[in-house]
Amino acid sequence: MDDLQFRRAIYADPNNQDADTIAAQQDDASKKQFAQDICKLDEKIKQALQIPVPDDLCHKLILRQTLASHQVQKRKTRVHLALAASVAIVGGLMLNFMQFSSAYTNLGDYALAHVYHEQGSFANNATNQVTLASLNQKMAAFDGNFSQPLGKLLFADYCRFDGMKSLHLVYQGKTSPVTVFVVPKNEQLRFSTAFNDEKLFGSSIEFIKSNIIVVADKNESLGQWQQSISETVSWSI
Amino acid sequence: MMTKQVRYEALVKALHGDLYRYAYWLTHEKQVAEDLVQETFLRAWRALDSLKDEKAAKSWLITILRRENARRFERKRFDMSEYEEASITDTKSVTTEQELENHWLREKIAQLEPEYSEPLVLQVLGGFSGEDIATMLDLNKNTVMTRLFRARNQLKEALEAEPVKRGIYNG
Repeated sequence: MDDLQFRRAIYADPNNQDADTIAAQQDDASKKQFAQDICKLDEKIKQALQIPVPDDLCHKLILRQTLASHQVQKRKTRVHLALAASVAIVGGLMLNFMQFSSAYTNLGDYALAHVYHEQGSFANNATNQVTLASLNQKMAAFDGNFSQPLGKLLFADYCRFDGMKSLHLVYQGKTSPVTVFVVPKNEQLRFSTAFNDEKLFGSSIEFIKSNIIVVADKNESLGQWQQSISETVSWSI
Repeated sequence: MMTKQVRYEALVKALHGDLYRYAYWLTHEKQVAEDLVQETFLRAWRALDSLKDEKAAKSWLITILRRENARRFERKRFDMSEYEEASITDTKSVTTEQELENHWLREKIAQLEPEYSEPLVLQVLGGFSGEDIATMLDLNKNTVMTRLFRARNQLKEALEAEPVKRGIYNG
């Protein structure tokens, strides 16, 4: 290793532990002296570089980070709050929607479901009878009037037909009660003229302000019921 | 959360001194160096999860600090006045021989071109090898070694050129 190379190596890294440079130092006392000088210089440089660090810097750094992460947390809680509020609103809307919107899309389906729901409450051979006068009293709410009884009226009262106030009439039929609904017109439920399932069938008659729906079992003649309703009912304006 | 906090505090305690000194030799201003270190540690906190190897922490922080320093110049153009000797002065009263020497040598180091002083600081203070410095500064190793050689050579020459009774004229 020539002198220049050695000097360069020592200058670049005084603590050089290469086999070459160590060997060169052992061979040549002047090189060793040079290396020691540079090591001393390096020690001085090191001393000089060690400028005093502000005492409070460490604490400042920790404090600043604590404040910053606190800010982030505050922002996070705000986001969480907003998120919770959104969920609550959506939940509320869903509840509202589910509770107040109808599960049925047309008159027929709803009428069938309604009849099935109250099937147990009416017996075909019940003894009580509602008079034409009291029926017409109730019909007054719909501006309607029956001129003659349609048959033996077992039950007549207001009920909720998909949230609407309607009149629920139960007549004695041939084998099972015949149900007649007087329902105010509504856009929510689609009008269906005729509908049926395995046991029951029904039909609707459309009037100006109301629909009249007849639901009966398959032994009844719906046409006959429809005809007598159409003939006896009259509407005042 | 707690462990991250603990890691961060350990990192600050272990390395803030080295980092501050490095920043000081990069900027030559105490206040700027302090701000730089604060920014660096704040960034380090945010990215702490990406630091997998604790051994690499120092070079990781130095890389952040260098980037932060570069950003400082992007943000606003400093009037790049020539380095003034007056601004480097030590506020401590110069008493002992050793401190006199330190003070004098500090001026000389500060007068080095940044491209020479930076590897020197990294090697002497940071204890990094030539390869490490080369990676950090994005240079090749030979360039780093040459710069280290020139840095020491310049300091040595300056030291030899100085009259023996330096500093006395102050008092």
